[in-house]
Amino acid sequence: MRSGWLIREARLRAGLTQTELAERTGRDRAVIARWEQEAVAPSMETLVEIVRACGFDLPLVLVPYDTGRDERLESNLNRSPERRLEQLLATLSSSGRKRG
Amino acid sequence: MAEEQFDPLGLFAELNRQKVTYLLIGALARVIQGADELTHGVDITLPLGEENLRRLELALEGLNARPRDHRRTGLQERLERGDEVIPFQTDKGELKLVPLPAGTQGYDDLRRRMSREYLGHGVRVAIPSIDDLSRMVGAMGRDQDIERLLAMRRLAELERSLGHGLEL
Repeated sequence: MRSGWLIREARLRAGLTQTELAERTGRDRAVIARWEQEAVAPSMETLVEIVRACGFDLPLVLVPYDTGRDERLESNLNRSPERRLEQLLATLSSSGRKRG
Repeated sequence: MAEEQFDPLGLFAELNRQKVTYLLIGALARVIQGADELTHGVDITLPLGEENLRRLELALEGLNARPRDHRRTGLQERLERGDEVIPFQTDKGELKLVPLPAGTQGYDDLRRRMSREYLGHGVRVAIPSIDDLSRMVGAMGRDQDIERLLAMRRLAELERSLGHGLEL
């Protein structure tokens, strides 16, 4: 999980510009930009504060880490978009045949 | 019951033939960006200008689209009253129009970071960035989407670490 995404996602979901978020949080716009670009990372406490300024909360929970998922995603990334679509259609066709 | 056809390339080809401006969103967009999901429908968002809607109507006609929810209200009226999703059954599979995808400000918000992907048979489709697709999943706020959201965020990390991603 990277803090830059969370800040950017919260800001965009709130429909705010970086300047507006900076004003809401009393910080410089350049600081917000550097966080979003992940040039620097805010502390966890600051991250929660920024997300809340966008109207969201950031509950932190632990979930099992699925290494199998990483392998599947890496494998997908190594295919072209065309192959990814072909793979989906082949899977659907195969599951349809199994059902039928 | 006869199995419904799912021919996304045929569906995109008709939208492209009528020069409809749109972005593919939803599960199929996530799959094309590399997610590990199954889907048999096409979700799109689009600019709601008069000319684009006229082109869309032509494409819907070409696809023999019928309202999946059996509502008789016209497309324009449904857009004006703010329907969140307008589902159609077409001869190429299910097509859902989403005028304002969750967590976004609409088409213009998403198009800045979109990419155009080649999907075969001469068809190219515009797709939002992985981050924007994650934003939409997160904004739906449904328990069943948590796994999808985790996968999308991990996908973005992997993409960046593999050097496919474009930092904005």
